[in-house]
Amino acid sequence: MSAHATKRRKLRHSSKVQLSDVDSHGETHNHNGRATTSNGAAHDTGHHDGDSLLDDEYRSTDGSDSEAEEELGKDIPYPMTKTDTPKTPVDASHRTKKPSATAVEDGVYTAEVYKSNMFKLQLDELLEQVKLKYGKKEAPAENAMRTLKALIEQLPSRTALSIPEAKKTLKSEGVTIPFPEPQPPQDAKYQLQYERPSNINASGSYPLKTTTRSEDGFSIDLVVTMPRGLFQEKDYLNHRYFYKRAFYLACIAAGIKASTLHAFNISFDNLGGNQLQPILVVRPSQRGGADDFSSSNCRIHVLLALPENAFAMKKLLPTSNCIRPNAADDEGGTRQLPSTPFYNSSIQSDASITSYLQVLHSASTRCDAYKDACILGRIWLKQRGFGSHRSKGGFGNFEWAAVTALLLLPNQGYGTSTLSPGYSSYQMFKATLQFLASHNLSRLAYKFQAQDISLPKDDTTPVFFDGPRNLNILYEMTSWSYARLQFEAKTTTEALTESRFDQFESTFILKVDSPKVHYDSTVSIPLSSLVPDAGAEYSTRLYEQIGKIYLTLLRALTDRVKNISFTIPTEGEWPIADTARSISKRRCILVNMITNPAAAHRTVDHGPSAESKKEAASFRQFWGEKAELRRFKDGSILESVVWATKDASAPVIEQIVSFILGKHLGVDVASTARFSTDSFSHFIPSGRIQGQSGVTPFTQLMSCLATLEQDIRNLEGLPLQIRHISAADAQLRYTSTGCPSMTDPSQIPASIVVQFEGSARWPDDLCAIQRTKIAFLLKMSELLSGSKEIYTTRVGLENTSQPSQNQAFLDVTIAHGFSFRLRIHHDREATLLERQLKDKSLNGQSRETAALALGVYKRDYLRITAHTRAIQTLCTRFPSLSPAIRLTKRWFSSHFLSSHFSTELIELMVARTFLQPYPWPVPSCATVGFLRTLAWISRWDWRNAALIVDFSSYIADVVPEMVGTGSQVLKTEDIGKIQTRFEAWRQIDPAMNRLVIFAATNLDTEGSTWTDNAKPPKVVAARMTALAKAAMASIRQEDERLLSIVNNGPKVDDDLDKFSTANLFTPTVHDFDIVFSISSKYSKSGRKVSEQNFKNLQIQGPADTQSKGYEPFQPFVEELQAIYGDSILWFWDPEACNMVAGLWNPAITAQRPWKVKAGWSSVPLSTGQGKQSDNVDKAVKIQLNKGSICNDILRLGGDMIDRIEMWT
Amino acid sequence: MAPKKSSIPKTVADFIVLPLTLPALPGLPESCADAKHYLYIKPHEPSHATARDEQSLFISNVPFDANEDNIRALFTEQLGGLRVANVEFDSSVPAQASSKRWKDVKNNEDGDKRGKKRKRDEEVVAEGVVEDDESRLPNTWPSELRRGGSCAIVVFVDKSSAHGAMKAVKKAAKESKEVRWKGGDGLGGERYKKHHALRYPSKEALQSSINAYLTQFNRAETARNRLRKKQRSVPDAEGFVTVTRGGRAGPARIEDAERKKTELEERRKKNGAKDDFYRFQTREKRKDAENELRRAFEKDRRRVLDLRARRGRLRPEV
Repeated sequence: MSAHATKRRKLRHSSKVQLSDVDSHGETHNHNGRATTSNGAAHDTGHHDGDSLLDDEYRSTDGSDSEAEEELGKDIPYPMTKTDTPKTPVDASHRTKKPSATAVEDGVYTAEVYKSNMFKLQLDELLEQVKLKYGKKEAPAENAMRTLKALIEQLPSRTALSIPEAKKTLKSEGVTIPFPEPQPPQDAKYQLQYERPSNINASGSYPLKTTTRSEDGFSIDLVVTMPRGLFQEKDYLNHRYFYKRAFYLACIAAGIKASTLHAFNISFDNLGGNQLQPILVVRPSQRGGADDFSSSNCRIHVLLALPENAFAMKKLLPTSNCIRPNAADDEGGTRQLPSTPFYNSSIQSDASITSYLQVLHSASTRCDAYKDACILGRIWLKQRGFGSHRSKGGFGNFEWAAVTALLLLPNQGYGTSTLSPGYSSYQMFKATLQFLASHNLSRLAYKFQAQDISLPKDDTTPVFFDGPRNLNILYEMTSWSYARLQFEAKTTTEALTESRFDQFESTFILKVDSPKVHYDSTVSIPLSSLVPDAGAEYSTRLYEQIGKIYLTLLRALTDRVKNISFTIPTEGEWPIADTARSISKRRCILVNMITNPAAAHRTVDHGPSAESKKEAASFRQFWGEKAELRRFKDGSILESVVWATKDASAPVIEQIVSFILGKHLGVDVASTARFSTDSFSHFIPSGRIQGQSGVTPFTQLMSCLATLEQDIRNLEGLPLQIRHISAADAQLRYTSTGCPSMTDPSQIPASIVVQFEGSARWPDDLCAIQRTKIAFLLKMSELLSGSKEIYTTRVGLENTSQPSQNQAFLDVTIAHGFSFRLRIHHDREATLLERQLKDKSLNGQSRETAALALGVYKRDYLRITAHTRAIQTLCTRFPSLSPAIRLTKRWFSSHFLSSHFSTELIELMVARTFLQPYPWPVPSCATVGFLRTLAWISRWDWRNAALIVDFSSYIADVVPEMVGTGSQVLKTEDIGKIQTRFEAWRQIDPAMNRLVIFAATNLDTEGSTWTDNAKPPKVVAARMTALAKAAMASIRQEDERLLSIVNNGPKVDDDLDKFSTANLFTPTVHDFDIVFSISSKYSKSGRKVSEQNFKNLQIQGPADTQSKGYEPFQPFVEELQAIYGDSILWFWDPEACNMVAGLWNPAITAQRPWKVKAGWSSVPLSTGQGKQSDNVDKAVKIQLNKGSICNDILRLGGDMIDRIEMWT
Repeated sequence: MAPKKSSIPKTVADFIVLPLTLPALPGLPESCADAKHYLYIKPHEPSHATARDEQSLFISNVPFDANEDNIRALFTEQLGGLRVANVEFDSSVPAQASSKRWKDVKNNEDGDKRGKKRKRDEEVVAEGVVEDDESRLPNTWPSELRRGGSCAIVVFVDKSSAHGAMKAVKKAAKESKEVRWKGGDGLGGERYKKHHALRYPSKEALQSSINAYLTQFNRAETARNRLRKKQRSVPDAEGFVTVTRGGRAGPARIEDAERKKTELEERRKKNGAKDDFYRFQTREKRKDAENELRRAFEKDRRRVLDLRARRGRLRPEV
């Protein structure tokens, strides 16, 4: 043995040396633990080092010396038998690593191996946080485990009993044998027996030290190996093994229960939801005493293992059959019978528990980063809702660890091993993900050291076949769960290849399994209609049905969906005295879909050509009466399916799903299925994507603009040629909440910017330029209205108090149509303003005005046009971006926040959700885009983090001559620069009085364009975060309700659609100090109601160009702001215009000393402090005169205000 | 003085506190029904005395809808019936158009617009012109409003009227006489409707104002050029006088020259000795790169520590 061990140790040592070049960090933090090992090795052949010391002790207590165990004992440094000393070598070797000085030194070179320094540092911290400490907290659990082991070892053997006898005996001891379905025959010839286990050992992630802390505690697997003598050669057939296993488990349960010395809470559960493999779950008794391990927050799973090679490997290949009808044991029948891979693998998995422990352990010794990589995998799986349990996909920690371990080993036929032991934990994690992402194991099996075994792939289960252990590791997965795993793996791999933005949070921190945020459409199907006859094999039937739904939907929906997954009720543990609980009929399953927005709304599906008879027949069979033969424009005659598209009809996907479920799974299923999709989209007009693009409501406006542009360019007699005409309005980038309307007179015309070619004839003075612009506008107005009948034009004035800013615009109204607002851009303005900024001879105030004007100039003429173009392009590229932005804007306005956020900033926030979608894929409907934006806002720490959006990845190739000084493509350095600028802002203005939110793009690296001058102010930004958090909390609550319906069935008054989406859009007025409502005559929402009666008049009557753009609300609130300055913050909803809310500035509601120019209406108060006459002045304080302000507002608003309310 | 706490004082500093009863309006919450507005009034005594001071009163905290008419009415009808010549407000909504000015010009302006610039017909501002009725753009608002808590100077026809008014104010305050505030006219929806109409002035009006402006601008520009020329001949810190060609783009040329100069220097630098010629250069470069890496790492480490300090330990979301 010693020679063997030394050899291995040497190997390990040399590989470590090799590693230290690559991963010097790993070296450092393993240093403490390794010291003993290498010292020991230096001493002698290794008898006294940590590992073998344990090894010896282990054997001496156990007394067994079979070959397999010796192997095992050598490799597993887990002190099973140490009962007395708390200070075990394990404790010593597992000291928590501390970041030492050397870690920093070495860290300099780790960026390459770990994506980036930031990534690595966060990774280290995360690992430190989630790893178990193996200290005081876990000690009671370890003690309990040893107690259990001793207890089980002492259980007396039982004589063989027939099945009815066994049932009866155990019933009398208070235990119902957890026999799997089908129940064993009463007249079976074989007998059930209990004998002392041949071995008891801890297994799983706990001894491997890859367990993580989590809110529901960790678990320790205690593996009890049944003695070989219990089984006969043919016990693998017809569940016989499983009956014996169930009896064995029941005996252990009875033994623990009967023990008077020790108290534990025990119950049965199915291992991974597989009813063939019941296990025992041991929990603390909560009664205190030596055995109570409640403080460990842990449960112990007692698993049963089959000794290796108890049955012939050949018989248990996935291709063989082991369930014979009528218990016909004859060998000859095997060929004809269908194979039973799941059954076979279940046996084989029991037989390979210890063997896998060995594999995993050797991987962790061979490769330093292996354990950390496993932990990372664990976290990743958990955050995405994957687990070993069948209902969670059947891919859990064990599967991850085993796949990683096997990929580390060389595999003939596949070239070199996929993973290298020299990888860092992050590289190993990423490479494993990449393996999963790139191998469709459902279609093509991956065989590990099993080249000679042919695995026919007619089954839908993905296959990762481990030859030496004769097991398909993924036997509990299904094709849909693998598809989901692959989908998530792909998304994460994509995220990790993104080098500019740190994807740490999206990969490991965020919880990604919320159905509302994750999926575009959800169908709920009650179990009562899905599996009406709850027979013996209920869960098997359920999974069969789900598989059928999956395949049917996959075929029916084709490329309309990117992924279909299922949320399935889980059966929990059950008390040992009872039989396993059957699943309640009132539960349901959820079918979750991620749709492909470009194809989801297609109305015609093309099938095979009529000539290819076989395909056509199968198509007809699949679609039934829906299939029709059609001749298409290109002359082809194809089988096809056509769906209704009327506005009122259900979305195409819903039509397809309900039709196809009805056809293939029964009318009952279709009629009880509930479809929910895009549940928030009704808050905005045409929120649901119609046809193939999300910008349909805007196309008319856009084509009007194109005509207008042409007409302006064709004008003859303009003194200068036109260089550019660019759009500069939310309506023209598909993002205005309301759709552009031809009839609404209060619609503000859509802004466009005209730039003339350069000329020396412009005056070289800002104010004179503005007047010259007016002259130009007058000329254009004259020419344009002269050129075509349909144009009505008039010049309007703005910014009258800022003579150096733009002063006029030209409103062009197309008869019975849209109107546009045209402004002239003259690029000389920027130079002049910059010159004024530098001109030291100007007084301070003038230079301030110049700075302000420069900001406005840049925003209005450079940034907005560039931003408009970028968003236009994105909206056509991502069909759901436009509705998502509009929905998000709706949310901002319904909470009265819009007045403080520039519309472009909101657009950037949503664009970010689409351009950096991770951990999700790009959103495919408005609701999901909106919710993910909200989720991000609720997490966004805007005090310390900038919003950076990079349009370039999608735009660089479309609009090469992007206006603006920003660099074309955002590189890592650019992001660094933006970061520096952001930090500089925070240093200049730490109180965030001027700039609160910093939002930069590749087109605008300055970051303050949309948010300068406290837009929003800090308090409003904080309110945004608070509201987003509240919204996410209610979404989470809804998710939980949905899951409880899945698991427990709906409560009596509960309804799947009960969730009121309107809650998210209802403002809470009581948070404000003063609220007044606008009379319906002046509010948009009020007018809308009254207009409905006279719609025909609106359309027929002559377009009233005089009142076009008349919206009294906007100037009213602007005056409110101008009058009250910063003493009151005003909030309103610019889309409804029905209410204005105000918040006193807390700085002035308190009493303050008297001042001549307070800047707000005050009420004097004598405080009575200074009664002496000389002190009178100090005694008088002033306070905001709320009463008079209330009166003032009513006077200002006059007939516009309905009601005013004030809370003190 | 009333000893009761938080009662309204009659005077503060040298101001008389004059409560105004506000008009009763429908829809007002009850708590504000009898709210009053408070004016602070005293004789006008600016630090730079002028001739008009003695005939003026200074009012602080004027109502937002104060205008010359209703202030005048306040004095003539309720406070002694004295005649007001005019009222000057320190703020207006929308704000008055203001021009950019030079530093020295501003100083001159403070003292009653005397000094050198007075010699010419009009004041020279840094850009544009000081607009008059002809060159000003048509007004887009029916009336002006005041910012909250702003001040006004009420100029009476003569000294004695001002004294009389002050006396009346004192009396009213002492006797707690009810003084009503009339408020402004034409507010509410009407105001914004008018504004909307006024925003679109007739073409003729616009055109004539632009023509007037541009004429005045040409005159102002000539004056400015003269001034600029003078500035150019002022020696700089080292005693040199920059020789410039006259013309409108003078200062810009200097900027251009400077830019060219830096460009030239850069080009010269490029053509000089390469920076990887000597071994020490490459060595230093490598060292720099290494230090840079180290610094970046240190920075990142600090950022992670910051992060932790802010949002606590890093844990996967539950």
